[in-house]
Amino acid sequence: MTMLRKIRHELNTMPKFVYITAALTVFGLSIALYRMFVGLGATTNLSKEFPWGIWISFDLATVALSGGAFTLAALVYVFQFEDLHPATRPTVLAGLLGYSSVMVILLFDLGRWDRFYNVFLHPNVSSALLEVSWCITAYTLILVYELSPVLLQNSRLKCLLPIIKKYTVPIVIAGVTLSTMHQSSLGTMFIIMSPRLHPLWSSMLLPVFFLISSFASGISLVVAGSSVSHWLFGRSLKIKTMAKLSWFIPWILAFYLVIKFGELVIAGEWDLLFSSGNYSLLFWAEIIFGVLIPIGMFAFRQVRFSRTASLIGALFIMGGTVLNRFDVTWFSIASVNGEVYTPHWMEIAILVGVAAGVVTVYSLIARYFPVYEETEPHQLPVEVRPFENSHAAGD
Amino acid sequence: MTHQPNNPRYGFLIDASYCIDCRSCMVACSVENNVPMDSTRIWIKETGITGTYPDLKRFTAPFHCMHCKDPSCVSACTVSALTRNDDGIVSYNQDICIGCRYCVYACPFGVPNYQWDEPLPLVIKCDMCFARLGEGQQPACAATCPTGAIQFGRYEDMLAEAHRKINERPDKYVQHIYGEEENGGTATLYISPVPFEELGFPIAGTTSPAYSNRLVTEGTPMVAGAMLVGLTGVYLTIKHLREEAECDRVEAAKEKAAQSAGEEQ
Repeated sequence: MTMLRKIRHELNTMPKFVYITAALTVFGLSIALYRMFVGLGATTNLSKEFPWGIWISFDLATVALSGGAFTLAALVYVFQFEDLHPATRPTVLAGLLGYSSVMVILLFDLGRWDRFYNVFLHPNVSSALLEVSWCITAYTLILVYELSPVLLQNSRLKCLLPIIKKYTVPIVIAGVTLSTMHQSSLGTMFIIMSPRLHPLWSSMLLPVFFLISSFASGISLVVAGSSVSHWLFGRSLKIKTMAKLSWFIPWILAFYLVIKFGELVIAGEWDLLFSSGNYSLLFWAEIIFGVLIPIGMFAFRQVRFSRTASLIGALFIMGGTVLNRFDVTWFSIASVNGEVYTPHWMEIAILVGVAAGVVTVYSLIARYFPVYEETEPHQLPVEVRPFENSHAAGD
Repeated sequence: MTHQPNNPRYGFLIDASYCIDCRSCMVACSVENNVPMDSTRIWIKETGITGTYPDLKRFTAPFHCMHCKDPSCVSACTVSALTRNDDGIVSYNQDICIGCRYCVYACPFGVPNYQWDEPLPLVIKCDMCFARLGEGQQPACAATCPTGAIQFGRYEDMLAEAHRKINERPDKYVQHIYGEEENGGTATLYISPVPFEELGFPIAGTTSPAYSNRLVTEGTPMVAGAMLVGLTGVYLTIKHLREEAECDRVEAAKEKAAQSAGEEQ
């Protein structure tokens, strides 16, 4: 009886948006099940001309944003910026959920989802997609390892914590290496598709572009996440620490800008910047909103020390990176017979379902596990901290 | 990395000027491979009707897998479902395929198709009628073609024949053998009385993107190794420097304490 009352109490004190996201998740996943049993033709607008669609664009964008986890892990554990440490738990959790959603979507995307394990049984080492799938699988396991202290801390298995801590540094180094590999391999994937890609995006340097933009958008995720959790959970990184992190942003983006334009000039394609109609517009949108404006913003100390301004700047960078991934995977792909791809509503419903699932799981873990424990509490009235309150009541 | 692809053993020579759009090659392919007509591994490319009445013209050509010397699909395939054998035949193992459709995107000729309406679909792609070759027969499309538009034989013979034909009739044929250089060379060769773009053939470069792809993917393990060593080095160096600084600080503090103690005495 007490058990039942406890559950009812938990459900009553749950923030209302969790119910909405949970419902969306159930709806999306039922459509996904339907897709798996009727095939791709009836549930997607994929075709011979566009065999990959919005799912792949979503995957690439999500992986780029989840780059926060490895960028931060490298800064904290390898380069030993210890004051950034409090940000690792929320970022690793966000990264883990991002990667898990990518794996789930990939499973829905595979025509022969029933034998996905052939990736491990019959590898083709010259395939960039093989590298990506191996690295993503291995890295997801590493993220679970990095997050495990959060999950075990208050459980009976906490005796494992010292052992986990002992091997953290080598595991993190392996994780950073794997991330570097697959962030760049996602770009490599499009080298072989160079006949299909618009020359503004097609380049042998795609792996480098992808890697560097994942640093920038990864740091942006930490900055944005820190600002958002400041409002939602009343806990966050110190503004000084955040400013230290965002100090890197203009430098990374400036380097990105130099190699991006340098490559176009060396390839003799700079005239395309103005002569390719909508393609030029897309390219400039990426550069102006995702690179130039953020460089301008984060170059100022006042922006780096303001939570609101940092959040806006970080959103610009993340938006620019997402647009870049959509350009490479979708908008810049030339169709041979003039066909245009627009996603089927079921493709979008499945995506929304998976994204809603990520939000649901994140909220639940943040509610029941000490994700924000190491971050700084702020002087906020007690009632705006529903998570700790309900947690205490639940005990 | 120094992958020098051998010439294929067999080749097709397809002459667009002989094709009458009867589509018996498609029927033959459908029967031979036991697939419905809308998912055959061969189809017809055409110019559409050109010219003004009464001088109307229409050219067609059958189109199927080019069997590249350095195929993009083989390099792209996540698993090893697509392979090129010693005879230069690019074939598909349907028991391994996981359905990622990377080959469909990677092929510069737009050849691999997919069973979009199957719950558990497979890739649709010509395998040069591998089974028939083993029995000493020609591929179904070549054996069926009533006009001889599709010729099949040893690759060298087909290439020589193509050169002979376009050299003999420069007035009739475009002076280009599609497939001799395209995508690094292919086992399927085309000659045509009209430019290949007009037939709807993709304009492919003379090197296969598979080569650039391998340059990057095969270098990856080395980069990964270097990174592991580099990151470990950085970690140990910073740790060492910190410990040293800490030692110095402690020693300096000790010295200071000793000094002040001495002064007091």
